[in-house]
Amino acid sequence: MNSLNHFQNEAVHYQGGHLLIVAGPGTGKTHTLTHRIKQSAKGLKSTEKILAITFTNKAAEEMKERLKLDDDPAPSRFVVGTFHQFCLDILKTYSDKLNLSKDFRVAEPEEVYSLVKNIWPDKTRKEVNRLLDEISRWKSAEFDTKMPEVVILCNQKLREVHCLDFDDLLFFAWQLFNQNKNILGEVTSQYKFIFVDEYQDINCIQHVLLKILVQNEVCLTAIGDPNQAIYGFRGSNVAFFKSFQNDFKGAKVLRLSENYRSFKNILSASSQVMANAQERHVPELTAKLFEEGRLIMKECPTDKAEAEFVVHNIEKMIGGTSMFSQDSGRVETDKEGEASFGDIAVLYRLKAQSFCLKEAFERSGIPYYISGQKMDEDTVCPPRAEDLDRDAEKVSLMTLHAAKGLEFSVVFIVGCEEGLLPLSLLEWESDKEEERRLFYVGMTRAKTHLYLVRAKTRRLFGKIYHLQESPFLHDIEEDLKVYEKTDFKKNQKKNDEQMTLF
Amino acid sequence: MKFYADLHIHSHFSRATSKNLNLEELSYWAQLKGIQVISTGDCIHPGWLKELEKKLEPAEEGFFKLKNEYDTLSQTQLPSALRRDIRFVLTTEISNIYKRLDKVRKVHNVIFMPHFEAAKKVQDHLNRIGNIRSDGRPILGLDSRDLLQIVLESDPLSFLVPAHIWTPWFSALGSRGGFDKMSDCYGDLTKHIFAVETGLSSDPLMNWRLSQLDDYVMISNSDAHSAQKLGREANIFDTDFSYPGIYNALKDKKNKGLLGTIEFYPEEGKYHYDGHRNCSMRLHPKETIENHGLCPKCGKKVTVGVMARVEELADHEEGRKSPRARPYYSLIPLPEIIAEARGVGPNSQNVQTTFQEMVRRLGNEMFILQDAPVDMIKKSAGSLIAEGIRRVRNKEVHIAAGYDGEYGQIKIFTDQERERNADQMVLF
Repeated sequence: MNSLNHFQNEAVHYQGGHLLIVAGPGTGKTHTLTHRIKQSAKGLKSTEKILAITFTNKAAEEMKERLKLDDDPAPSRFVVGTFHQFCLDILKTYSDKLNLSKDFRVAEPEEVYSLVKNIWPDKTRKEVNRLLDEISRWKSAEFDTKMPEVVILCNQKLREVHCLDFDDLLFFAWQLFNQNKNILGEVTSQYKFIFVDEYQDINCIQHVLLKILVQNEVCLTAIGDPNQAIYGFRGSNVAFFKSFQNDFKGAKVLRLSENYRSFKNILSASSQVMANAQERHVPELTAKLFEEGRLIMKECPTDKAEAEFVVHNIEKMIGGTSMFSQDSGRVETDKEGEASFGDIAVLYRLKAQSFCLKEAFERSGIPYYISGQKMDEDTVCPPRAEDLDRDAEKVSLMTLHAAKGLEFSVVFIVGCEEGLLPLSLLEWESDKEEERRLFYVGMTRAKTHLYLVRAKTRRLFGKIYHLQESPFLHDIEEDLKVYEKTDFKKNQKKNDEQMTLF
Repeated sequence: MKFYADLHIHSHFSRATSKNLNLEELSYWAQLKGIQVISTGDCIHPGWLKELEKKLEPAEEGFFKLKNEYDTLSQTQLPSALRRDIRFVLTTEISNIYKRLDKVRKVHNVIFMPHFEAAKKVQDHLNRIGNIRSDGRPILGLDSRDLLQIVLESDPLSFLVPAHIWTPWFSALGSRGGFDKMSDCYGDLTKHIFAVETGLSSDPLMNWRLSQLDDYVMISNSDAHSAQKLGREANIFDTDFSYPGIYNALKDKKNKGLLGTIEFYPEEGKYHYDGHRNCSMRLHPKETIENHGLCPKCGKKVTVGVMARVEELADHEEGRKSPRARPYYSLIPLPEIIAEARGVGPNSQNVQTTFQEMVRRLGNEMFILQDAPVDMIKKSAGSLIAEGIRRVRNKEVHIAAGYDGEYGQIKIFTDQERERNADQMVLF
C-alpha cells in the first residue's frame, strides 16, 4: 500500500511547523509516519538529522527497516530509538559531565530489586515493589522536587556497582541539559525534525525532555491516539496529548479517521464503547471495508467452558482439524477454512487467565503461543527471540496490553466481566476510563470476527469468583451483537435459552 | 526379494484409533495379511517413540524388528506357515495447517526417517513449533515446504510423501485447502518429492491424467486406524529388503523395484462423484458441468467430489499412462468379500471366524486375494467366496460411486446369487 488517502497525504506534506496527528486504530498511522519522515528528509542539509522516538525497541527496529527501503545513500541521517535509547547515547557521550564512569551499565529491573532489598532486608516483596514504584514515580514525574531519602539510598547502591536504572537514563539526561546549556545546544542543532510515536503514552519527564529539545528551528511531529492510552498505571499521562498546542506554539492538529482494518460491525461496536467515555477525544472512525463482520457474544458457565468455547470455535474457523470434524457435521462443509492459526488471537486482562486456556489448547493440539512481551519497553537491548521458528503459525495468546499495535482476523476477548474489565479484583486500583480504553484497544485489533466471551464462574489466584457482565458490553448496541447459543453438551441448552435476556 | 509394504498407519496414540494398534498386534496382523514391512506410524509422538525404542531392535539397514520378548502374540497364536519376518520403518504423519499464497491450506504429509537419531532430530524441531503430544498425528501451523526442509536436514535418506493427495480436505491437491500444483505447495523443494500417496480416494489411473505428477511414483497405504485395516492398500516391492531398497525403488526412475500397488476402489469414497444426497442424485463431473453445477431435481448447488477435482486439474484423458506408471490391483479386503457372500457386516463374528480359518488353511490374505488357485479356495471356503475372489481379481464387480457424503457401494454378488448359494456354505 504505497498510496496515501486524502488525510494521510495532508499529514505527510504539512509544512507549517509543529504537528500533532491523531490516528485512530487501523488508520495507517505507521504508514503515514514513515512517509512523513521520508518526506521531511528531503529538506535536510547534509549535516542535519531526523530523530524518531518510538515507544518500544521492537517498534524502533521495524521503523529502521522501513526507512531503509529508501534509496537514500546516507541512512545515518535517521536516528531511531526509544527515549531510553536516545538518552543512553547522550549519557555515554557526555558521561564525564555527570560524574558517571564511562563504562556505566543499565541495571535490569531484577537487579534493582535486589539492590533495594539489600538496603531493607526485612521488607516483604510487596513492600519492596511499592518502594520501587515510589522511586520510579519520583524520577519520572516528581524529579524537580526534593529528592526523597529512598531515592538517595537507591542511587547510592546503584552507583556502587556503576549502574543506572532505566528511569535514571531520562533523569540524568534532563539534569545534563539543565546544567549544560551548551551541550543542549550541541544536541538540538543536529536535529531538524523530531518525531514522536505513541504520544498518548509519554510521561512527565519525557514531556519535559521533549520541550527542552524542541527549540529554535526544530520541528516536532507527534502521532498517537488518546483513546488508546493504556499506560497511565506506569506514569503515562494522556493530558500531554491535549496540551500539545499549548506546549508547542503554532502547532496544528490533523486527524486520520479512515479505518482500513475492521469490518463495519466491529468498528461501530468499538466506537460505541468509547462514545461512553468520560472524555472523548476523536470523532467516529469511518470503516473503509464494506463487509459487516461478526461480533459474537457468549456466556459460559465456567472459565474452563470459556476456554473450550474458544478452542471449539477456532477449530470451526480453521474448517475442522480432522476428518472427524468434517464427517460428524461439526463443521459446515460448505465453508472454506476462513482463517489460519496466525490470524487468530485470544486476549485477556490478566496473565493468570491464560492457565485455563493453555490447558484447553494443549488438549486440542492446536498450536499456540503465549506472548510474554510485557517488559519489552523497559529494556534497552533488543528483546530475546522467544520463538526460534517465527515462521510456523500459532494462535496468539496475550494480555490486552501486549496486543497494542497488532491486528488479527479473529480476536477472542475472554473475561468480559466486571472485576476483570474493568479490573477491580483483589486490591488492584485501576482507572475505569483507562480500562475502557484497554478494552477498546482489544476490540480494535480484530479485522473480521470479534468474540466477547465471559464466564459466570471463574477461578483466579486460588479463589472462585462469580462476576457480572462487564459494563462496557452494555455500551454496545444490541443490533450489532450475535449471541452464540450452540452447545457441545445438551444439558446446557436449557440454561442458555434463559440467558437471551442479555 | 519380493515383499508387501504398508507405509502409512497409525498407533494407538492417534485420535480415533483402536487400542490394538500396538507393536505386538501390528506384527500379528501383518503376518495374517501378508504384509512384511509396515510403518511404525506416529514416530515423533514422545510416548510412542519411547515404546518403539524399548520394543524394537535394528535389523537390516533402516529396518527395525520387534524384540522376541514382545512378540508373544504371534509366537503363540500364529501357525508357523503364516510366520514371516516383520519389519518396521520409522514414519509419521503431520497435519499442516497454514496460510500460503493468501489462502488457508490444510495438507497431510507422511515423513520417513532411517533411524532413531533422525527421528529425534525431527521430533526436537517440531516440538518447538507446536504440540506433538496430544495426537500421534500432530497439528502444526507449519508450511509443508518448511516441514520438507526439516525432514531433509535430518538425514540424507529421510524423505516426505504427500499423503492421500486427493482428499478434499487435508491434502496437497485437495479441492478444499489444497493447491492446484505440487510446486505451489512445496516451492523450491518440490524436486525432493519423488512419490505421492494415492489414498483411498484415488487410484493410479486418476493420477496418471496429470502431467505434473509424471515425476512421481504412486504408492498406496492403508492409513490404518485399527490393526484389522492393515494392508487394505499396500505396495508390492521386489528390491533389497531394507530402507535404502525401498528408498531407491521409489526415487530412482530407472529402478523398477516397485512392482505395483494394491488399491481400494476409490468409488467407495463418500465424495467420489458429485451429487446431492438429499435428492439421491449422483452425477459424474461431466454431467455436473452440463447442468451448470446445479442439481437437476431441486436446482440447488451440487456437492463436488474428488473426480471433479481431478477433471479440473487433469491435462490428459482417462486411460493415459504416466512415464512412471506401475501396475495396480483393485482389491476388496477378504473380510468384506466374506461379509458380502454371507449378507452380514464385515465386523461380525461370523466373518471374523471365517477369515481366521481361511488364513490358517490357505495362507495370508494377500496370497488368498491374489495368488491362491480358485479351486483351492473353493475346497476350503465354499464356492461362493471362491467365486467372489475370482470376480474381484477380474474386476467383475458392480460399482456405484459415492457422492455428497454417501458411501459408494461395491457389489460382487446379487441378492439372488447369495440366496441361491446359502446352503453351499461350508460351516466352520
